[in-house]
Amino acid sequence: MPAKLIVQGLSHHYPDEYTGESVHALDDINLEVEDGEFVSVVGPSGCGKSTLLNILAGLLPYREGSVTVDGNVIDGPGHDRGVVFQEHAILPWRTVARNIGHGLELQKVPKGERNRKVKEFIDLVGLEGFEDRYPHELSGGMKQRCAVARTLCADPVVMLMDEPFAAVDAQTRITLQEELIRISIATKKTILFITHAVDEAAFLADRCMVFSRRPGRLIATVDINIPRQDRNWNEMSSNSEFTRARDQILKLVRGEVSADEA
Amino acid sequence: MRHSRHPLWKFGRFLRDANFSHFVVSVVVILVIWSITSATIDNPGRYLPSPLAVALSSVDMLYKGILPSYFADTIRRLVLGSIIGLSLGIPFGLLLGLNRTISDMFYPLLNFFQSISGIAIFPIIVIWWGNSDKTVLAIVLYTSFFPLAYTVLSGVREVPMKYIHAVRTLGATRFQVIRDVLLPGAMPSIVTGTRLSISFAWRAVIAGEMLAGREGLGWMIFTGQDADLTTQVILGMLMIGCSWIILDHYLLRPLEMDTIERWGLVQR
Ligand SMILES: Nc1ncnc2c1ncn2[C@@H]1O[C@H](COP(=O)(O)OP(=O)(O)OP(=O)(O)O)[C@@H](O)[C@H]1O
Ligand SMILES: [Mg+2]
Repeated sequence: MPAKLIVQGLSHHYPDEYTGESVHALDDINLEVEDGEFVSVVGPSGCGKSTLLNILAGLLPYREGSVTVDGNVIDGPGHDRGVVFQEHAILPWRTVARNIGHGLELQKVPKGERNRKVKEFIDLVGLEGFEDRYPHELSGGMKQRCAVARTLCADPVVMLMDEPFAAVDAQTRITLQEELIRISIATKKTILFITHAVDEAAFLADRCMVFSRRPGRLIATVDINIPRQDRNWNEMSSNSEFTRARDQILKLVRGEVSADEA
Repeated sequence: MRHSRHPLWKFGRFLRDANFSHFVVSVVVILVIWSITSATIDNPGRYLPSPLAVALSSVDMLYKGILPSYFADTIRRLVLGSIIGLSLGIPFGLLLGLNRTISDMFYPLLNFFQSISGIAIFPIIVIWWGNSDKTVLAIVLYTSFFPLAYTVLSGVREVPMKYIHAVRTLGATRFQVIRDVLLPGAMPSIVTGTRLSISFAWRAVIAGEMLAGREGLGWMIFTGQDADLTTQVILGMLMIGCSWIILDHYLLRPLEMDTIERWGLVQR
């Protein structure tokens, strides 16, 4: 079976309208994500991670290379690719339930079926009792849960996440990471997760891709062979596979950073 | 905010409001200063009649039916002018906000007329339509339309990109983005623009009636000056200010609270 997400020879230059020069953000990226796989992407700040995600989401047009999802060439946004942004982007004028059901509403799914699915995902992310609240009445962590539920409820083929837990406190982040593991087991979604936190990248993913400084290049891929159901923070500190993977990723990221700074 | 909106309940809240007692204090202080000043100057009847004299004249004018009829004239013009202004200004602002080509065409014009105040447009309107109801209405419409269209346009433009992106990745069409993101996102501007527009219209009605009217509160102030009826001038001013406070408090503020505050888009 071919991979869900295939990126071939993808490069990206941002034009600079003032100087006429261009910023080289991505350089010849080749990667594949299999069905049901959880892949994380780490790299130094400004290396082009968000650029990659925006291209995959269809929000940023690309000219060099090719990107396909389920065999379809990406040409604009579509509900086959769900996105969770760093800054939760749930709509302030919709209640939690209406935000989560928004994707289905846009696809004109009948109300009865929609309500059933919304309930399912509210339960999945633990927002029971908050269905009729507005986003400003939620904590930061709850907003992110709502954003994750909204993306999942639209039933995308691939879920793209851009540093979704960067803006919440450390305690909440740990909880959200464990919840995401549980959700990924329950939904078997294919997930591409961008982060700059090495711990997070190793904890969540089956495979971690490490990017170089700008222009972003894929410098290494690290496999993390830990069954999904064994992933919880209590056991990770004594899990040798986790510490090995984490240290390896850290070295790759560090090496890249210091090599450039020297 | 989920309480009933019964007028009595709202009036009760107004009285219970801590601000209300402060308000009463300031009104009393002004009345006292006003009375003392009026009692100590020469010829107060001409320069500053006492609060009591103004109150008596209001009873007199109420009795003769002049005050209610002038008041009704002014309100009618305000309502008519505002309804037309809102029903043209909001769609126009939205259209400009949503369509690049249209906004490129009209934006300079909008800017141009923004700079010409209602008072500066007055002479040409009087040349066209003389001292008439139509002239006053035209000024009200003119004054309320441009700031409203401008506010609504900026409101659409300032909807954060992240919401548009998020909804597009949920598979929204362009129409769905407008319906679910741009219109509700522009709501705070539509509401504040409406409030702004009606407050401008209120001033324009009065100015219009003073310069080109035959009746109404503005006319009442204007003729009061001509006829040396200072009580009538002051009464007119009081009516204008108090009507506005009531209109704003009972109509425009609740409108704001029911939408943008419910969504947490503004902090109070
Ligand atoms: N719209 C844009 N126009 C021009 N240059 C841009 C634009 N967006 C990003 N860049 C540049 O492209 C490079 C990659 O940016 P990108 O946002 O993809 O980085 P990132 O890896 O997501 O960083 P971070 O971890 O800080 O979020 C940066 O150097 C940035 O300055
Ligand atoms: Mg980024």
